[in-house]
Parts: sequence; C-alpha cells; structure tokens
Amino acid sequence: MALLVPAAHVGHWLWVLYLPPILIVVGSIARASFLERRRKRDD
Amino acid sequence: MSFVLPVAHALVARKDLPIPAWLFAWGASIVLIVSFFALSAAWRKPKFEQERWHPVGARLSRALLSVPVQILCGAVGVLLLGFSIYAALHGTEAPDRNFALTFVFVTAWLGLPLFSVIIGDVFRPFNPWRAIGRAIGGGFSAIAGQRPAHLTYPERLGRWPAAIGLLAVVWLEVVYGSSGGVAVGLSPDSLGLAALLYSLYTLAMMAFFGVEKWCQTGEIFSVYFGMFSQLGSFGTKDGRLGRRLPLSAATHWATVPGSAAVVIASIASTSFDGAQEGAFKGGIKQVFEWLSEAGLSLTTSLRVTDTIFMALCFVGVGLVYLIGVRGMATVRGAPPLRKLRTGFAHTLIPIAFAYLVAHYFSLFVFQEQAQFTYLLSDPLGTATTDLFGTASSGIDFKLLSANAIWYVQVGALVIGHVVGLTLAHDRATAYWPDYRQAARSQYWMLAVMVAFTCFGLYLLSVANA
Repeated sequence: MALLVPAAHVGHWLWVLYLPPILIVVGSIARASFLERRRKRDD
Repeated sequence: MSFVLPVAHALVARKDLPIPAWLFAWGASIVLIVSFFALSAAWRKPKFEQERWHPVGARLSRALLSVPVQILCGAVGVLLLGFSIYAALHGTEAPDRNFALTFVFVTAWLGLPLFSVIIGDVFRPFNPWRAIGRAIGGGFSAIAGQRPAHLTYPERLGRWPAAIGLLAVVWLEVVYGSSGGVAVGLSPDSLGLAALLYSLYTLAMMAFFGVEKWCQTGEIFSVYFGMFSQLGSFGTKDGRLGRRLPLSAATHWATVPGSAAVVIASIASTSFDGAQEGAFKGGIKQVFEWLSEAGLSLTTSLRVTDTIFMALCFVGVGLVYLIGVRGMATVRGAPPLRKLRTGFAHTLIPIAFAYLVAHYFSLFVFQEQAQFTYLLSDPLGTATTDLFGTASSGIDFKLLSANAIWYVQVGALVIGHVVGLTLAHDRATAYWPDYRQAARSQYWMLAVMVAFTCFGLYLLSVANA
C-alpha cells in the first residue's frame, strides 16, 4: 500500500539544502575574524 | 508500505542517482575546503607569476605563422562567416534545420572555448573580421604608401565594449530568440541581420582604433575566446609559437580595465541560461505576469522580464566576487582594493569555463551530431540537397545517459573551482609576503568558490530534474 505524503510543493524548497556549505564557510570566516579582532583588542 | 512524495512541477532531483543531488554540492564543498587547507599548508610561494616560456622550433613557428598560412586561415574564416550569413538569410526559417544557427551558437560559441584551452587562441588566425581588416589595411598601405592612421583608444574603456557585447550576444540567443523546443530558438533571419550589423560595427571600430587594438579590447569573440586560451599551455610571443606553464598566462590577462566584467558576464550569462527554465522559472513567470497585466505585449513582457533577470545575474555574480575582494582587503598587509579587484579577476576564468562545460556539454555533444551530419549535407535546410549523403541522419540522444551528463557537470564544476582556488591562492602568495596572511586572505575566496559551486550545482539539478 502506498501512503501519499502531502508535500507537493516541497520541491520549491530544495534550494535550502544547498545553503549549509556556504553558511558553514561564511560562519567560520566570521567567527575567525571576530576572535582575531577580540584577541587584538585584548592585547 | 511505501511512501510516495508527489513533488509539484518536477522540481526534484534525479531519482536514479545514488545520493540526492544536493549532497553532491556538500561533497564538492568538502573537496574545496580540503583543497584550501592543502594549498595553505604546502603552497607558500607564487608559481604562476612567471610563464616559463619555451618557444617551439623556429622552423615550425615560421611555417605556422607564415603569411600564406595566415591568408589561408583568414580566408577560411571569411568563407565560413559569409556562408553562415548566406544560410541564415536564404535558408529555411526552421532554426534547428539551418546550418547557421548551430554553427554560430554551438560549434563556434561553445566549441572554440574548448579548443582555445587545449591548443591556444585558435580563433585569432581564423577571425574573419581581423582578416578583412588586415586585408583592407594592407590594401590602403599599398595604395597610399603609408600605414593607416588610427585614433587613440581610450584605455579606460579597456575590455568593457567586449563585456557588454558578450552579454548582447547571449541576450540575442537566449532572450530575443527564446522560443523553446529547439536548441537555439533565434530566427535565422535575425542571426543573419545581426551578423551583418556586427560585421559593419567591427570593421568601423577597426578602422578607428586599429585591427589589433580592437581585437584585444572590443571585438567580442576575440576577447572571449582569447580569455579561455590564457588557461592553456600554447600561445605566441614576439611572433613565435611556444608553450608555457598552464594557467600562467591568465595571471596577466585581467590587468586591462573591464576584464573582470568580461569573465563575470560569461558566468552570469551561462547561469541565466541555466536558470531560465529552472531555478528562475517561478520568478520569471511572476514578473512576466506583472508586465503583461501592465499592458505590455506578451513578447515584450517576456523579453523585458528575461532581460531583467539576466542583468540581475550579472549584478549577483559581480557582487559575490566583490564581497570576496572586500573581505580580502580586511586582511593585514592587503594591497589597495582596486589592485585586488583586478588582481583576482583571472581566478574566475576556470569557473567560467567550468560553467560552460557543465551547462552545455550535452547540448554540444548532441548538436554536433546534427552539425556534422544533416546540417552539413543540407545546410540551407531545404530538403533538396544531400551533399555528403547524411541529410537524413538524426541525433542519437542515447549517446549520453542522464547520469553521465550529471557526473560530467559535477566534475567540471569541482575541477573548475579547485583551479580557481589554486590561482587565487597563488596570487595571494604574490601579494602577501607572509604566507599565513596570504592563506587568511583566501578564506574569502573559498567562500566565493563554495558559493559559486553550490549555486552552479543547484541550477543544474533543477534544470535536469
């Protein structure tokens, strides 16, 4: 028996799955920049 | 019991891939991140700043660059241009049966970048406008007894005329000629007329600024194909053929103003063509409806909408690059922003090439079967000639499986971006004497490359669904 999952428009949101790699890299850059700035300020 | 997911509008990844398409984007990003760390650890001095030029044998060089060979190549180019214009104006109105459309937009437009990378700037000797311009210049010198005088080309313009022209060529094909159902939808008449107008414009510019100067800066096809030839090993220098370190010529290419715009235009136009029927479909439909409801005719609405989205692609790709450059400028010891902007533009050339391969590889393979069979035998598409006995041949669409196409696309994008990252890292080691700062500056280019890879794979996955 096939159970029909009511998710007809889920395909419109597939692009979200392509974002995590970009967010991880940009987040890492932002974090590294923030830590460096804080270290400089502390010095 | 099994679950069925009824996804609307076919916006799904391929069902027969071993893993979902989006996981390929994650995998490609991991490849880029690993490459980035490997480069940071092991690549501490610039390697591509010097070309390491090795001229080939003087006799071979003299023979290949001799005047008779140049005349022969130029004549072939002029003949092909003339025949394409003739076929476009006098052949069938069916775009897919007319030799000219496939020859211009597939064989030349997509084939020459590939050949330029492999064997060097092959378009230069065959460039019909350069051949005509040189012939006219030679004739003038013989009659007047002096070389023709030219205006001084405004150096600030640089390659901007070629960048705008590049967008115009793609606009003509994918916006003006957008008709769906065939590989190239532009009407042959329009192509013939555009080719005639472009020939007039190019010859006039060559008369104003000189043949070679215009070919270096404003002649769309010379600049575009010449850009890809910078990636390869073969080239000419001081009138002699030779080979150099692959990719090394690219490091000096972008110093002319407007070069970044050329390569961004190339990536943007390919992206738009890929997204038009896929990722942008919903947005295009929405804007099209607004415009048509505002009173514009259907054709005008569609063309205006597509033009807006194409311009947005150009702005978007340019912005991503500029964000990367701005990020680099924040790293200690960074050169001025202007230098960074031109200094890293060449790193986008492998990406432009990768986008071309990824988006058009299958089209090229399929359409070249048409080009060298029925279009060659019946170039005007009149169904009355069969020059080589192949007029009734067709395209074998089973030559490439959907999965094979996908793997080529993924491979091209990953390799192109890794090469781009390598070029960027190499340039950074030339700009930052401390290799640690150089590596730090490249965090930003890594983000640019990951963004372009994921965007490219998303476009392809939606277009191929």
